[in-house]
Amino acid sequence: MTDGNSGSPGADSETILEFRGVTKSFGGRAPAVRDFTLSVARGQLVVLIGPSGCGKTTTLRMVNRLIEPSSGSIWLEGRDCKTYNPVELRRRLGYVIQRIGLMPHLTIGDNITFVLRLLGQPPAARRDRAAELLEMVGLDPAEYLDRYPAELSGGQQQRIGVLRALAHDPDIILMDEPFGALDPLMREQLQEEFKRLLRTVSKTIVFVTHDMDEALSMADIIVLMKDGEIVQVAPPEEMLRHPADEFVASFMGRHRVLRQASEVSVADVMIASPVMTSASNGLARSLELMRRRRVSSLLVQDSQGRYAGVVRQSELQDHIEAGDQSPVGTLADRTVATLAPSDSGLTAMHQLLSHQQVDSLPVLDADDRIVGLVTRGTLVGLLGDALRVARGVQDVNLAESDRALAGEVAR
Amino acid sequence: MTLLLHTYQFFTQHPGTIWRHTLQQLYLVAIPLAAAILVAVPLTMLATRVRRLYGPVMGFANAMQTIPSLALLALMIAIGLGIGVLPAVLALFLYALMPIVRNTYVGIMGVDPGVKDAARGMGVTSWQLLWMIEMPLALHVIIAGIRSALVATIGFATLASLIGAGGLGSLIMEGMGLASNSIVLAGTIPAIVLAFLAEGLMGRVERVLTPRGLRA
Ligand SMILES: Nc1ncnc2c1ncn2[C@@H]1O[C@H](COP(=O)(O)OP(=O)(O)O)[C@@H](O)[C@H]1O
Ligand SMILES: [Mg+2]
Repeated sequence: MTDGNSGSPGADSETILEFRGVTKSFGGRAPAVRDFTLSVARGQLVVLIGPSGCGKTTTLRMVNRLIEPSSGSIWLEGRDCKTYNPVELRRRLGYVIQRIGLMPHLTIGDNITFVLRLLGQPPAARRDRAAELLEMVGLDPAEYLDRYPAELSGGQQQRIGVLRALAHDPDIILMDEPFGALDPLMREQLQEEFKRLLRTVSKTIVFVTHDMDEALSMADIIVLMKDGEIVQVAPPEEMLRHPADEFVASFMGRHRVLRQASEVSVADVMIASPVMTSASNGLARSLELMRRRRVSSLLVQDSQGRYAGVVRQSELQDHIEAGDQSPVGTLADRTVATLAPSDSGLTAMHQLLSHQQVDSLPVLDADDRIVGLVTRGTLVGLLGDALRVARGVQDVNLAESDRALAGEVAR
Repeated sequence: MTLLLHTYQFFTQHPGTIWRHTLQQLYLVAIPLAAAILVAVPLTMLATRVRRLYGPVMGFANAMQTIPSLALLALMIAIGLGIGVLPAVLALFLYALMPIVRNTYVGIMGVDPGVKDAARGMGVTSWQLLWMIEMPLALHVIIAGIRSALVATIGFATLASLIGAGGLGSLIMEGMGLASNSIVLAGTIPAIVLAFLAEGLMGRVERVLTPRGLRA
């Protein structure tokens, strides 16, 4: 649970959906889903994630019997799905797909309440329900009820797609890459909106995605799949910290790098004894110090040992050539951003990336004393360490998994 | 100029003859077309469910339209139906099948798979899928098929008089026999007017039956 939005299940949680050794083979090839076993507690948001073709969609569609398992069984509220009439089963569930699939010939109102129509609800009641749902996502019913899908933007259409799955108040909603076709900005907006919506209506959700950002931000439980099999089932935090194997680690690679950078503090990675000079020293002496220590800038201390700024080699040289006789303290630049030892490696990265003109940042303690220096080189080292951790083992190629992900996104 | 004058005179002097032939022509078009719709639409819908039906159905309809119209008429005589209205109606019916079969199939198969998947996932029965989703979305395509069948039938119907089915074609034949261009025109003009009227009417029907959400 990343932000406690949908009632994290406790020890007494009731299982609402259960996969028992489910296998699905299409023809003679290797099974699309193999021996899939999973319990979903009421109110949980379970995310199925994995590379393209790993069987996520097949798993989801077996729940509402758009696909029948080859073996094993799926249990819904203690009843084998096989014992339901498929049509009735589907009307009890919500279903949202990436292609949205709004009925182009029906109004928004009729689209939202399509299942209610199948269930035989009268038009007036359906209209009220549609209006109520539109209001929940901030769309004005007066404006939208009687419009047609083609008149709406992609983001609005998928909002309607989600509302449509909520209209008949199902306990379980199946979502197959619901936000996958939207641009990143719109996707994030709908994710947030959807999480808000879930706070008001508690639902059990099985959510398919290939986007790890989405999984981390939405999931109570992440189910990572590969070649039709479950590799790991864990809450997001645990999966980041304890990936079951190198495949999981590499699949989460980028996120673990960032996680690593945010867990490491500046104190852990800084150069603890940077080259310093006193403010009262002369310019030539300071330049000589730089040459000797092979650095291009110096940290300047005042007489009380407090940070007074930074001087750069090029500036020193210019002033010496101009015959300037003043002490180095007068050239010290105090405008450079500084870090505290307790700042995270991630903060340091941000600072350096957003101040392209500096290549190092002084680290100061609470009394403004210089305790270290973080350079671009330091951070490259930090990234390298994080990458090694993320790989789990040396020979798993991180770039490859990122390419695989990028390929799936592009698809 | 004199030709037009003579034609005009023929119209004013024999309104009954022209009316009778036009009416015959209408029957010759309406009956085969209605039959073709009633047979082709349901059969093709069935073929969208039972895919292996489509090959034979479309193959047959295609063959009927590929046979030159005259040969098709001759064929009716050859298979022992003789001459008259019945073989003509049968030939026209066979001729009208293809565009209707083709458009019904294309219309229904062309419904967005995402829409069908969503509908199935929400629990429509296969009948509901047909009536609530596929039919309304395919209707304007089916109508377009009926429209081309109609145009083809009207053209073909004037030939049907060759096997004694009557209609405006027989007026044209008569004029040709008498070497009277005015009588030929008296048959041709109503045939052309009829074709344009039918075309315009079907265009309207097509527009009205296009669901609002699909209109650009
Ligand atoms: N109807 C089908 N017929 C044959 N093979 C299928 C069918 N549906 C899916 N598959 C195969 O099953 C595997 C899993 O597919 P899918 O569940 O769609 O993967 P995902 O949603 O994870 O991308 C793929 O290899 C795919 O080609
Ligand atoms: Mg999929």
